[in-house]
Amino acid sequence: MSGSHETITVTVNGLQRRVVTSPARPVLDVLREDLGLTGTKEGCSVGVCGACSILIDGQLMSACLVPVGELDGRDVTTVEGLASEDGELSAVQGAFLRCGAFQCGICTPGQVVAATALLAECPAPTPEQVREWMMGNLCRCTGYYSIVSAVLEAAAEARETSA
Amino acid sequence: MTAAVPFAQPEVRHEGHLKVTGQARYTGDHYPDGVLHVACLASPTPHATITRIETRAARETAGVHAVLTGADIGDVRFGRHLRDLPVLATDRVRFIGQRVAAVAAETREAAEEAVRLIEVDYDDLPPVFDPRQALTSDAPVLHPEAAGYLTMRGGTRELLEHLNLQGDLLTGHDPEEMERAFEAADRVFEHTFRTPRQHQGYIEPHGALVWFEGEVCHVISTNKAPFTLRSHMAAVTGHPAEKIDVYNRFIGGDFGGKGFSIDEFVCFYLARATGRPVRSVMSYVEELSGAGPRHAAEITLRTGVTRTGVFVAHSADVVFDGGAYAAGKAAADLVPHGGLDTMSAYAVPATRHRLRTVYTNSVPGGHMRAPGEVQAVFAGETHVDLIAEELGLDPLELRRRNLRGADRVADGAATVAEEVLSRAAAGVDWTATRSPGRGVGIAVYRRKGGAGRGGVVLRALDADRFEVVTGAADQGSGTVTMIARVAAAALGVDESCIEVIQQPTAVAMFDQGAGASRVTRVLGAATLLAATDLRKMLAEAPRFPIEVAREAEAPRAEDSHAFGAVSVEVEVDVETGQITVLSAVLVADTGTVINPLSHRGQLEGGFAFGLGAALMEELPVEDGQVLAGSLGDYKLPTAPDMPPLTVVNVGDTEGTGPFGAKPVGEFGNLGVAPAIGNAVARATGVRLRQLPLSAEAVYRAVTEARPQE
Repeated sequence: MSGSHETITVTVNGLQRRVVTSPARPVLDVLREDLGLTGTKEGCSVGVCGACSILIDGQLMSACLVPVGELDGRDVTTVEGLASEDGELSAVQGAFLRCGAFQCGICTPGQVVAATALLAECPAPTPEQVREWMMGNLCRCTGYYSIVSAVLEAAAEARETSA
Repeated sequence: MTAAVPFAQPEVRHEGHLKVTGQARYTGDHYPDGVLHVACLASPTPHATITRIETRAARETAGVHAVLTGADIGDVRFGRHLRDLPVLATDRVRFIGQRVAAVAAETREAAEEAVRLIEVDYDDLPPVFDPRQALTSDAPVLHPEAAGYLTMRGGTRELLEHLNLQGDLLTGHDPEEMERAFEAADRVFEHTFRTPRQHQGYIEPHGALVWFEGEVCHVISTNKAPFTLRSHMAAVTGHPAEKIDVYNRFIGGDFGGKGFSIDEFVCFYLARATGRPVRSVMSYVEELSGAGPRHAAEITLRTGVTRTGVFVAHSADVVFDGGAYAAGKAAADLVPHGGLDTMSAYAVPATRHRLRTVYTNSVPGGHMRAPGEVQAVFAGETHVDLIAEELGLDPLELRRRNLRGADRVADGAATVAEEVLSRAAAGVDWTATRSPGRGVGIAVYRRKGGAGRGGVVLRALDADRFEVVTGAADQGSGTVTMIARVAAAALGVDESCIEVIQQPTAVAMFDQGAGASRVTRVLGAATLLAATDLRKMLAEAPRFPIEVAREAEAPRAEDSHAFGAVSVEVEVDVETGQITVLSAVLVADTGTVINPLSHRGQLEGGFAFGLGAALMEELPVEDGQVLAGSLGDYKLPTAPDMPPLTVVNVGDTEGTGPFGAKPVGEFGNLGVAPAIGNAVARATGVRLRQLPLSAEAVYRAVTEARPQE
């Protein structure tokens, strides 16, 4: 039914993990069911809503679309890996909290991961660049205004810190 | 009182840290040991009798623990008020997507595989899809046995003049009075409007986890009203309510849809059959084809107007497509009540409304952010613009002349309604000259809401440590933070001294649940009562720990209302039909704001919700088949779709919530579609009387309106 199992070695949030599973399973299911990382959410299951956004070798991907077999030897960051080890929120997480850039919170892990990827690629985005980048992350609660503000605030804060 | 309250400081959501770090656990995030996954077989046909179900191959599939059909559990039906929807179909299916069988298996894949192996023979019956046709004398009857259907209150349903009627509500003046009122009018205008089915579009689909510990049935689900769910599960399954414990904490979006439970019932029977925890999370295909979308409506409005533009009579005939079951509607008369608000902002001396909901062989209708009212305000506010056009009056001026409360101005000061309307008009520079293809539009409304009952327990652990225990589930509106801030303000302590603890139904006091924009008004009031009393007790004789339990009830939605207005400037590309909203203003008649960020979020998010409904959202159904299969087909607004928005809070009118708060949940979305439609008409001369205002619809209308060459 699910084919033969393989051993896949993958670094998740800095820790090396080994999973024995069918390589065809979506990364999303493996993260949530096998590794207990339920911060990455399942919404549409077809790569449209962005709730399952993760970073694979720093690239923003939808975990529902990627077969886990492709992860062997690669590096994955999920929302659980963004805060520092002592629990200090990342600039993006802190800005989301201060700006009230969430309501129900189901899309928030994906939004935060997507915004993190944007700022890694483009540390000083314009509001329009933020809106375009975040197009792949649906939010039904906020109307996106507070999310855009939070991403811009996080970018400004990160620049101040590094200056 | 309000001035001393420290609500000006923006809140930091108490649960915010859990949400931005991914630690907030929603229903679907629970995978207890031994959990089984559910998949359901859906009817492929809109109307048929079931002649045979064969489940042997499914039961023999590796990893499968149970396969249930209607024959196993009997004719068990549920619904928010009328229990007409079978947990699993027994002898008949009435819409494509109706559940016929359910499987619990070790993995989701095994459950889905088993579902594919179930064989069902159907004997097709004639379907009916058009509500008007369903009301004719020779239409196929969907529910011949309707007389025996039970309601959640225990009785049977009232039978209406046609078996295909779900609900038929008539209110207002009697026909003779209406006739006289219309006779006094100089002109009478009649227009018909259509609005489509639309889906709530929360990112978290419906889901449930059910398990038994001895006789106690535990439930974690996406239902936003845990106590209501508990009583419904007891009524439907016969399991005693005191042995059902519901613990719903985080809900990933609601917008009206999460009051309607579906998975909980099937999980109950599968958990009982297997002795294992059973988890069901709907796929988005199931969501779109069976989770209770907004009712499609056909609305005919008739208004009598004097020569000077004063409304003297108004009647509305609203026909909602109820779909195959009435189960998704919570009100006893089984109509989306907001349909009464076709002229909500205006003082009209004679009105009469008829709202009907009709059975058809389509996906059952449910509640979606201001049910019925979204449809009514689109129709009403487009109707008012059409009247202005035909009378040659400025649509702003026609609205001003008829606003509710306008006759109560003694000293010439503007009423709140006038101020709301004027600020919206000023916000888009109403009188400015505009280039061709551009135009402004406006809509005004009055929203009622907030009725319900609920309680909290407030406990003082010491002088600066307090706990509030609530059974409320938070669907995102900021309930926990609101309770903490009300408690802190009433106790006169810092917000950091308050911890709000969400508890299951077995522990917490009754709460009616999130819905009808009631949470702040009701649970806020209960918290205020508890905190005020506790403060008095502590002042008289300090001792710790000490606790008080208080309940509040807001009996009538009518006691709490607020005016709102939306104005927009649009640009229309007549070659493609594309509408660009250049700017928008949302004006709210706001009482005391307890959570400023969340309040703003509700207004901005409400506007976005209205924008989607106005421009792009439609759940297309053809011969009973929902044609949108994913969130890729059912398009929701994305970040680049959002125009610059100005939110204006006006008026210092006091609401009936704690410290003078007013409901805001079902508010920001109401006026967006008519404001945009009205702007498009002024920009192009083309008037659309149906939603969505898609580029295709605009293009078609513009092309048809062009003189033939």
